[in-house]
Amino acid sequence: MPREGEAEMERFLDVLKDEVQIVALSVMALVYIIRIRWLMARTLASERTPPIGDATRAARRSLFAVAMPWTIESMTKHWATYVEFVVFHIGIAVTIAATFVIPYAPGLFESQAILVATQVIIAAAFVVGVIRLGRRCMRQDLRLMSSPDDYFSLVLLDLYLISAFFAVPNDNQWALIAFFGLTTFFLLYVPFSKISHYIYYPFARVYFGRHFGRRGVYPKVRGN
Amino acid sequence: MEPSEKIQMALDVLEKKLSRQAVTSLAVCVHCGMCTDACHYYVATQDPKMAPAYKADHVRKLFKRHFDWMARIAPGWVGGRSLKSQEDLDTLKDVLFGSCTMCRRCTLNCPMGVDKALLIRIGRAMLMTIGEMPQGVIDVNEAQWTTGNQMSVTDEDYLETIEWLSEEHQMDVGDSRVALPLDQQGASVVYVVNPREVKYAPLTLLSAAKIFHVAREDWTMPTKGWDGTNFGLFSGDDALGAEMGKRMFNQVRELGGKRLVVSECGHGFRATRWEAPNWAKEDLEFPIESMLETMCRYLDEGRIKLDKSVNTDLVTYHDPCNLGRSSGITEEPRRLIRESCAHFIEMQPNRADNWCCSGGGGAMSMAEYTGRRLEVAKVKADQLRATGAKVVATACHNCVDALSDLIKHYGLNMRVTTVGELVADALVFERPPVVTEIEAPQGKGERVLVVDDEPDFVLYLSTLLEDNGYVVDSATSVDAAMAKLRESKPDVITLDVIMPGQSGLQMYEELRSTEEFREIPIVVISGLNPQEAPDSDHRQFIYERRFAPPPDGFLDKPVDQKLLMSTLRKVMA
Repeated sequence: MPREGEAEMERFLDVLKDEVQIVALSVMALVYIIRIRWLMARTLASERTPPIGDATRAARRSLFAVAMPWTIESMTKHWATYVEFVVFHIGIAVTIAATFVIPYAPGLFESQAILVATQVIIAAAFVVGVIRLGRRCMRQDLRLMSSPDDYFSLVLLDLYLISAFFAVPNDNQWALIAFFGLTTFFLLYVPFSKISHYIYYPFARVYFGRHFGRRGVYPKVRGN
Repeated sequence: MEPSEKIQMALDVLEKKLSRQAVTSLAVCVHCGMCTDACHYYVATQDPKMAPAYKADHVRKLFKRHFDWMARIAPGWVGGRSLKSQEDLDTLKDVLFGSCTMCRRCTLNCPMGVDKALLIRIGRAMLMTIGEMPQGVIDVNEAQWTTGNQMSVTDEDYLETIEWLSEEHQMDVGDSRVALPLDQQGASVVYVVNPREVKYAPLTLLSAAKIFHVAREDWTMPTKGWDGTNFGLFSGDDALGAEMGKRMFNQVRELGGKRLVVSECGHGFRATRWEAPNWAKEDLEFPIESMLETMCRYLDEGRIKLDKSVNTDLVTYHDPCNLGRSSGITEEPRRLIRESCAHFIEMQPNRADNWCCSGGGGAMSMAEYTGRRLEVAKVKADQLRATGAKVVATACHNCVDALSDLIKHYGLNMRVTTVGELVADALVFERPPVVTEIEAPQGKGERVLVVDDEPDFVLYLSTLLEDNGYVVDSATSVDAAMAKLRESKPDVITLDVIMPGQSGLQMYEELRSTEEFREIPIVVISGLNPQEAPDSDHRQFIYERRFAPPPDGFLDKPVDQKLLMSTLRKVMA
């Protein structure tokens, strides 16, 4: 590629990694703020009855239930699915971290050990993503309940992970363009898709914990 | 009303129900499917349409299409869809009423914390507003609104029953001075019951009376607001839920009662203790207790002592969903069983993870879903069978009914009882009876017409009744029974349901609509296995208005002799 073209690509990539991400992130944040305000404007159903359990403690515990698979029967029964969930979400978290590391702390990925570890995590998450997509296509109950967004979100995430795998070495312009292009798309699409479940998760778990905690149902009493 | 008008009304209800908790549950589901095999409907049928997330999606897609401002941008893309026709409403009814008991097992197994039962109930509220509910639910809802109790027991019937039960109670405790107290001022305990106890299961009420008697409790039952059940919980009718609660709460206040105790009824206790004060927006000045908690308190205070050697069968305990998953009551019944029974075995899983009996959420009143209910009860049947127990105790009358049905249907060699009955049987009477044995009165030659197509059962029942002083006629078909009726009117009829030719249901309808025979008391005795007659559910007698008034007595085969004789005494009284 002629030097001028290379320089233009460099500038384009710099803008894509930096300013474009900041704008996209801001749009996402704005949509989320509006969304949370819309949610909080809804009436919180109140409980007037005297509790028999500690609702606050239960809410705290509920928030971290996802890290305690032994407390939920479905997670113990489907422990392999739970492991997939952990691998997948760690991979996504690492990928998101990479969108900050590459533009602002690129030196981190100059360490071979860190680079390899990052790629292994992302690759594992990609494999899980493909398994999840396959499961959604094969299992009748999942097919029945799935919308186009359910499939598209998984396909998108899998593409995102594979693009991240090739982007983190930070030595291939096209891989980086693909990765940050997808990141931009994600930041704009995610608030409108089911991927934004993470923004509701704390609310759902706290409400669950408070409701069942004050009734003495949660944390569950274990017995013989 | 046109379907489009109904749909709009239903959507208006949905909008009003979108609390923060509801919106969160609607928005957070990721369709991971982890709830699928937490549901007995799915596990028993392997039908993907029974997956809880799919069922809840029937409400969720309406939310996405009409109210979620983000989903409305491209509703089809995220699964948003509206209702368009009567067919859609019918499907919704089948899903929300016929495919879910709101047991909340899926909720507890959801990694995200989606309260699917809340969403199902919101959907039911939508359908309730436009009258799209199973007939049994419509009738019971109306019965509670208009008569104050779900079985339309009249004030007169109630008072007569309490009076008769007082006589039975005297025999039970050997003291002719005792009675079931009504409207006592300033009582420590105001006791409310499931109308099923008044109508068909008086032994459970007698057990409670015995326990109160031995504990020397200062207790009373109210003459109004005595129904501790609450169909508002099942139908989604918050207004009814509030009204049923207020009727009880006001009675406690009028009587100056110190504490409201709810008999062994899962949904009744949950609705009264945890939901009705919210619906009614009332902060109560008195505590509400389950009878299970009351009995444990008596043990703690040394007011009752139990002899477990009286109950020697192996007993297991079924956790009613509304107690175990919505009210935190799991250890009290276990303590009571361990102290009143020699042998106890846990079923697996148990407590908040226990499987639904399949009869919750108003399912026992929905005759059109009986076949499905019994099919999905297989999960519970397998669980019971694995214990090897002879007795399954539970603390909910819906569960008693549902378990009785499934035990019959799956040929399990066990019986159902309430925890209170086990405790009452094991009570140690420390004070001697003031009056010696009061004998159970025998029949005085009253005429009983036994209608049943099984000759062996007719012989058994006829012998039993004749030994107890009754005169017996019998008929093995409806035609023969009607012919006998025209010859001489009996004082009471015992009626089987399934017979060749005309059924017991048809005969019942005919008798109730014929002036000459309308007033004859009828006791339905049925061993109905719905597989033999999928279109007949004997509970239609109890819950559906077209059979009003409901039978004077209702017994399952094999017949409990004590219950049969006390039922006959009651209807003859």
